[in-house]
Amino acid sequence: MEIAGLLANLGLGFAVAVSLQNLLWCLAGAVIGTCIGVLPGVGPVATMALLLPVTYLLPAEGALIMLAGIYYGAQYGGSTTAILVNLPGESSSVVTTLDGYQMARQGRAGPALAIAALGSFFAGCVATVAIALAAPPLTRLAQQFTPPDYFSLMTLGLVFAIVLARGSVLKAFGMVFLGMLLGLIGTDVNTGNLRYTFGISDLFDGIGFMPLAMGVFGVAEIIANLTNPERAELASSKLSGLLPTREDMRRSIAPILRGTALGGLLGILPGGGAILASFSAYTLEKKFSRTPEKFGTGMIEGVAAPESANNAAAQTSFIPMLTLGIPSNAVMAMMIGGMMIHGIVPGPQVMEQRPGLFWGMIVSMWFGNLMLIVLNLPLIGIWVRLLLVPYRLLAIAILFFCCIGVYSLNNSANEVLMIAVFGLFGYLLMKLDFEPAPLLLGFLLGPMMEVYMRRTMLLSRGDPWVFLQRPLSLCFLLLAALLLAFVVLPNVRKAREAAFHE
Amino acid sequence: MRMRSSQDIAAGLLLLAFGLAGLWIGADYPMGTAQRPGTGVLPHILSWCLVATGVLIWLKAGLAGSPPLSAWAWRPAIMVTLATVAFALLVDRLGLVVSMIVSMTFTALGTPDTRWREYLMFALLMLGLGVGLFIYGLGMPIPALPTGYPWK
Repeated sequence: MEIAGLLANLGLGFAVAVSLQNLLWCLAGAVIGTCIGVLPGVGPVATMALLLPVTYLLPAEGALIMLAGIYYGAQYGGSTTAILVNLPGESSSVVTTLDGYQMARQGRAGPALAIAALGSFFAGCVATVAIALAAPPLTRLAQQFTPPDYFSLMTLGLVFAIVLARGSVLKAFGMVFLGMLLGLIGTDVNTGNLRYTFGISDLFDGIGFMPLAMGVFGVAEIIANLTNPERAELASSKLSGLLPTREDMRRSIAPILRGTALGGLLGILPGGGAILASFSAYTLEKKFSRTPEKFGTGMIEGVAAPESANNAAAQTSFIPMLTLGIPSNAVMAMMIGGMMIHGIVPGPQVMEQRPGLFWGMIVSMWFGNLMLIVLNLPLIGIWVRLLLVPYRLLAIAILFFCCIGVYSLNNSANEVLMIAVFGLFGYLLMKLDFEPAPLLLGFLLGPMMEVYMRRTMLLSRGDPWVFLQRPLSLCFLLLAALLLAFVVLPNVRKAREAAFHE
Repeated sequence: MRMRSSQDIAAGLLLLAFGLAGLWIGADYPMGTAQRPGTGVLPHILSWCLVATGVLIWLKAGLAGSPPLSAWAWRPAIMVTLATVAFALLVDRLGLVVSMIVSMTFTALGTPDTRWREYLMFALLMLGLGVGLFIYGLGMPIPALPTGYPWK
């Protein structure tokens, strides 16, 4: 790829990202992300869902920069809670509790936090460059996609979401199908026929993405969290000696590099993301270590690798969303929601039509990472204080913001009623051990797939074999079939279960 | 019959119910032609997939067993739902302040460890924030207080 073009693009992005307004939105995203990252039980998906209506008031650049900041900010904040309190603030920092908390108990919380932040920063910088390098060629490839290619790529994305979902594969299948079916509710755009509307006029335009996301992720989580409120006990409030020793640094360099590389790769996979990356990086580090039996007793490698990996993956998971317009996880689904609010159709054309937005967002990620390291290290004491706010009060605030947020979108009280319905529905799904993320992806991709299926059939004059005749489409479908075959094989299934249970 | 309370049997039945409902309601959606697939094609395919998945989960749970359903959190579930519904029904009729008070109190009722004095202080803070930020700050077109005859 031409270096000059890359530099010109990054320069354009730099110009957008350093505007005072956008720097402020980036800071806002990073701060909010850190807060919710520190708080267990409040995740980035729910927060982004909450803030989507607010982003309606911002310019598109500011909105997306802030939303992105929330996601990678949460990765930083999550590690703070994991190390100091032994509670993962985010699900992606579960493995950090293993060694990070042990280090804190030995009075070495400072070095653990510093290495986590430095590793995250390094990974964030590398991932930013990776996005800038990978986006243009992928976008060029995507521009040659025909309708059957898109259809098959989306199928592949859904298969990835199923394979990588926690728990039962069959249930993940069910969630994808159900999500797609929910996505079809409303007026069929091609024929004008109504589907599953029961004569309710609020359903003629379909179920809104926002009420569904806020209900299933926001309200349902409040119900679940109120049932068993977790009490945070500060393990070691004394934070003496932030700086890691030279020995710590030396031992962390290789794990940070490996974690960044592995996390960056896993982030690009559709359905991948920060959680998978941190687990795999920890396992990999154990394999590389000469003293694997010492993991879990406060090894700095066990903090450095997963923390770098989750941040790298959090950022590279933007690649499929930015270049192909396909959400690879629930967070990216929120980003797509944010784009659609501003009338931007996600896909390869974004880079050409809105270069300022595209490159500005990428460069802002680097700024965001810089702000996060400045925010996190000296201010850790303040973030930890946040844990003192009891969930019984947070619940009240979160529910209110859910209600007013959905109401403000269309000034429609009926959409608020919908989040009540989806909240209960989401709680039911949780109880039955269904994961809601594949549902949301199916909901977003279902209607798109129908459009591409119809275009394909029209172009091929009703011949369905065209899906297997186009080389790209055939590749995607073969890959999807291969993945599914793998999950059904017993050996792989056991390994997958082990990876999720560690 | 301990099997009945099994988690996956319920999960399978849920998907099966959605699939059957999808087929039944969508029975008369036009299928179109191969070249121009109609309104009913994808709903039919998806509904059949849901039926199949539901039956498979059900059978698997019946053969291999599955963990029993854990206890339902009735109180939070009902109260949080009531809080949301109350906000939806009241906000247009009685304004932001009344709907917030009712809604927040429902949430507090659904919380196992509510301390009422603390709740009162927090509710006042939230009311100030709600009115200040959303009505004065963002200029949302909702009245703060009830105006005229809300029951008309």
